[in-house]
Amino acid sequence: MIIVKDLSVDRLDKKIFEKVNLSLTSGNITILKGKNGSGKTTLLKAILNIIEPSFGSIYWKGKLLKKNLYDFYNHVTYISDKTSSLKKLTLKDNINIWKRFFCSNINNSQIETALKTLKLENYLNQKVGTLSLGETKKLEFLRLIIENKSVWILDEPLSNLDESSIELMKQTFEDHCAQEGSIIFSSHQNPGIYVTEEVNL
Amino acid sequence: MKFFNKILFFYYREYKLNISGFQDILTNIIFFFVSIFIFIFSVGPNKETISVIGVAIVWTLLLLSSTLSLKKFYQDDFENGNLLIIHLNGFSYGFIAILKTFSHFLFVQIPFLLSIPIACILLNIESDKLMYLLVSFGIGSLTLSCLGSISSSMNLMNQRNFLLGSVIVMIFSVPIIIFSVGIINMEENFNSLINILFGILLIVFAINPWASGLCLKLSLENN
Repeated sequence: MIIVKDLSVDRLDKKIFEKVNLSLTSGNITILKGKNGSGKTTLLKAILNIIEPSFGSIYWKGKLLKKNLYDFYNHVTYISDKTSSLKKLTLKDNINIWKRFFCSNINNSQIETALKTLKLENYLNQKVGTLSLGETKKLEFLRLIIENKSVWILDEPLSNLDESSIELMKQTFEDHCAQEGSIIFSSHQNPGIYVTEEVNL
Repeated sequence: MKFFNKILFFYYREYKLNISGFQDILTNIIFFFVSIFIFIFSVGPNKETISVIGVAIVWTLLLLSSTLSLKKFYQDDFENGNLLIIHLNGFSYGFIAILKTFSHFLFVQIPFLLSIPIACILLNIESDKLMYLLVSFGIGSLTLSCLGSISSSMNLMNQRNFLLGSVIVMIFSVPIIIFSVGIINMEENFNSLINILFGILLIVFAINPWASGLCLKLSLENN
């Protein structure tokens, strides 16, 4: 599905990384590992065509990504290391906005189940700004279920999560791959998740 | 159909955000009216003087008040990553700029449009001039929203100096002020001045998606 070939990125005449290769097919998980500042987020953004690579190419379904960009965007969900939930609004409002904005087919009972699994069901009428970092992070993951797309690109998904939430994420990753989905995620630690490819930056 | 739904729910999102931040809109309008009072107190109680310069005061304060809201044009969505999410949902940068411009017009400029009649009473502006003022502001405010979009997107690349964007808006809004105030004072030339205002709007509206889109792209790339 995604092939990254000899990708290099320079910013302000500084080499961030060079000649990175990876391939992601359905049912696979790729992890990007490296220290802080090694270019994990930059690589994810380059794959999303947000950052222009200085060398190399990215392919989606056999075609150059740039020529197939909006088809790629139709299949990808990106969760950044920032809190994209609108802090002034309640959880319920955020979920409603996402559901409608992403034209999601997910029904209310599926969302209720997901909220219970993430232990967020009691905060529905609470403003996102009042939640803890970990709870906000879990709310971000709800977008994965709402968008219901096949490729997940996640930037440091396990940071700020407690052990039980990390276990839950591992299970979610396995379930997604079992349904022919694929995941690229970055981490500076060893998350203990079975991965099919490891890219060290 | 799916794309139109996305646009519709983009505005639902903007509506929810603006309702939750209603105090910001209210503050802008309060600023507008407090500034009118300051002008009235400084000019003095002479009705005729206030009536003559009233339209110019309204337009100047509308411009200043609308520049107050420019900081929030893209900033929040840029910082929390929503700009990127909206782009990944199939909207090009230029199209996001158009959508946000209309959102600014609807949720920031329209409340001013509604408060103009009250301002006219305070400044003793004749009721027959009100219609001209509303028409000129209707066109001029959309032009200001387009200029605001350009300057706010430029500000994303220059986080240190917010005032620079406001200065750009104010410089480029000089022609809008000239022709908008001119409409009210030269009623016999109404059609030709409205056409000029409309022409300025079309030029800025055409430049907006290109300029703002490019700035959004560059700022996300360098974030």
